[in-house]
Amino acid sequence: MSEQATDILSSDEVDTLQEIMNIAFGQSASDLSEVIDTHVVLSIPFIEFVKVTELHTYIQQHVKEYSKISIVEQKYWGKFKGDALLIFASGAGRELILLLKNDEQGSLEAGSAEILESETLLEVGNILIGACVGKLAELLNDIVTYTPPMVLVEEDARNAVPANKFDPDQTAIILKTDFNFEQGGATGFLFLVTKNESVVWLKKALQLFLEQYE
Amino acid sequence: MIKKILIVDDSPIARKMLKSCLPKDREYEFHEAGNGLEGVNQYKELEPDITFMDLTMPVMTGYEAIEEIIKIDTKAMIIVVTADVQMSAIKTVLDSGAFMVLRKPIKKDQILGALDKAMDTKEKGAQV
Amino acid sequence: MILDQIFDAINTGILIIDTEFRVIKWNRWMEIHSGLSEDDIKGVNIFDKYPDLDNTKFRRSCKSVFSFGNFSFFSQKLHRYLLPFTSKSLLGNQFEFMQQSCSMGPLRDENNEIKYLFINIEDVTDVATYEHKLLEMNIKDGLTGIYNRRFLETKLEEEYKRCKRYKSTFSLIMFDLDHFKNVNDTYGHPCGDFILKMVSSRISAAIRNVDFLFRYGGEEFCCLLPETKLDAAVLVADRFRADIESQNNVFEEHVLNVTISIGVTEFIAECESGVDILKKADEALYTAKKTGRNRVISLR
Repeated sequence: MSEQATDILSSDEVDTLQEIMNIAFGQSASDLSEVIDTHVVLSIPFIEFVKVTELHTYIQQHVKEYSKISIVEQKYWGKFKGDALLIFASGAGRELILLLKNDEQGSLEAGSAEILESETLLEVGNILIGACVGKLAELLNDIVTYTPPMVLVEEDARNAVPANKFDPDQTAIILKTDFNFEQGGATGFLFLVTKNESVVWLKKALQLFLEQYE
Repeated sequence: MIKKILIVDDSPIARKMLKSCLPKDREYEFHEAGNGLEGVNQYKELEPDITFMDLTMPVMTGYEAIEEIIKIDTKAMIIVVTADVQMSAIKTVLDSGAFMVLRKPIKKDQILGALDKAMDTKEKGAQV
Repeated sequence: MILDQIFDAINTGILIIDTEFRVIKWNRWMEIHSGLSEDDIKGVNIFDKYPDLDNTKFRRSCKSVFSFGNFSFFSQKLHRYLLPFTSKSLLGNQFEFMQQSCSMGPLRDENNEIKYLFINIEDVTDVATYEHKLLEMNIKDGLTGIYNRRFLETKLEEEYKRCKRYKSTFSLIMFDLDHFKNVNDTYGHPCGDFILKMVSSRISAAIRNVDFLFRYGGEEFCCLLPETKLDAAVLVADRFRADIESQNNVFEEHVLNVTISIGVTEFIAECESGVDILKKADEALYTAKKTGRNRVISLR
C-alpha cells in the first residue's frame, strides 16, 4: 500500500496530515466530552491508501473481531469531501441510549425500541463525525457541510459494507481511528474515505499549513 | 551562551514546525529525539536547558519520559507540547514535574512566551 | 435582496437564533404555521415562546453547532416535531401536531466565527401519515382490525427474549370458535364475518391495555398477556369463554349462540423459542376440542 501512498501524497505530506489529524482528534475528544458529558478516548489516527475496490475487504478486516455491527454513514462536503463511516460493535446503540439521557422517550409505538436504538446511534454518530471532520477541516482552513447521517443497525459484519458502494477507479485516503466511551463501554472505528478529487486541494492545504512554520 | 534545546516528538514534521517557531534572532543548539526513551538518553548526555516534549509516542510515552528525566534532574525545564487537551492529561504531566503545557497547533508567540518564561525561571533558580 | 425573497417564498420553515437563543430571523412559512409574526418573536428567547424546546437533546445539538460547527438532525421518527404547529394536512388527523423533519447548522460571519445557527423545519405530516397507514396494514387484520398473525410472530419472539433476559413471564391464550364451519354453511359467509368481528370486539374490550389480541388464522385467535402467570391467565380465559357463550347474536332475522374452546400456556425458560410456546398453546386447545369444546385447558 505504501507504493500507492507516495503516488498520491509525498511522505512529507503524509507526515503533515498525520500531525494535523493528531491535533484535530485530540481537540475533538475534548469537544465531545463537553457535549456528551463523558470522556471519549480516540486512538492515534492513522492514514492508509486503499484502492476503492479493496475497501470492502479492508473494512471487513478491521471489524472482524465483531460479528455484528452497526454503521452510521455520513457524507461531508467541502473542498475536503468524502464519506465518513462509523462502525460500532453490536449492542452499542443500547449502551449509548443510557449515555445520552434524552428526555423524550415516552409515547413510542410498536417497534420503538429499534427506532430509539438507531436514532441514538445516529445522534452519537453525527456528533462524533462532526467533531472529527469539522476540526480536521478547520485546521486545513476549510468549512464542510454534512448530509443527514444514515444508519444500518445490527448487520452481519461480513456483508455490511457493499462492495459496489464506491467509484471503482478511485483510491481512497483512509483516516482511521478507534474510539471508546469511558462510560457505557461502546467501541468502534471511524473511517474517513476521502474522495480522490480532494487530493489536489489537500496537497495545497497541507502546504499552506506548513508555510505558517517557515 | 548558546542555549541547548531538546525536542522530543515522534513526528519529524512536528519537530520541524517547533524549530521554525523559535525566534530567529537568537542562537540555539538543537537536538532531536523520536521517542521518550531516546529523549531520556539524550537528556542524560546533553543536559539541555529546555526540553520540548510530546506525549503520545511509540516505545516510551512522554508521560514516562518526564518522570524519568525528573528523576535524573529535578530542575529539568520540560515544556509539554501536545494535541491531547483533556484536563486530566494536563494535570498528570504537571504533577510529574513538567514546567508547562502548550496545546497543538503551536503558534510562534506562544512558543516564544513559554521559552522566555522557562529561561527566566531557570536563571532565577540558578541564582538562588 | 434576491436571497431575502427566497427566504420568504420557499415552502419550508427557516429560523435563525444567536448564541443566547434569541430569534434573529423567522421566515414567512414560520409566521404562517406558528401564528407568530417575525416582529412578535424577533429578539425574544425561543424558550420563552416554546418552553418544551428547552430539553437535553436540543441544547446538546445547539452546543455541538456552536462549539464545533456541527450539523444536527431531528428525525420525525423519534422526535415527531420540534415546534408544536397545528397540522394542516388533508389526510385526516392522525397526528395532533404537524410532523416535522428538522436540521440545524452553523452560520458564520466574515471571520468564519460561528455567530448564529439556523433551523430548517420541513412538514412531513403526509409522509408520516402514509407510513403509519402502511404500518397498520402490515400488522393488522383487515376484517377485524385486531393484530394479524405476522405481528403475533414478531411480538411473541420479542416477548420471549424479554422474559429470558429479565427472568420475567407471560401467558398465551389461544382460542377457536366451535363449529364455525356450520355458521358459514348455514347462514353464509357474511354471518361468519359478523361473528368474527363480534368476538374480536368483545375480547378487545375485555383485555388490559398491555395485552395483545391477534387473529391467528380463519376462526383462531391468540391473546398475549405480559407479566401474567398461568393461574391468572386461566381465569381470564374462562371469562372470555363465559362472555362469548352468554351472547345472543342477532344477524338479520336469526339469533345465534356460539362458543369458544381455549388453550392456555405460560412461558417457561426451557422453551427454545416463541414458536415453542405457540405449539404448547395449540396442544392445549386441541385437548379442549377433543374433550367436549366450550372449555379452558391449560398446559404448563
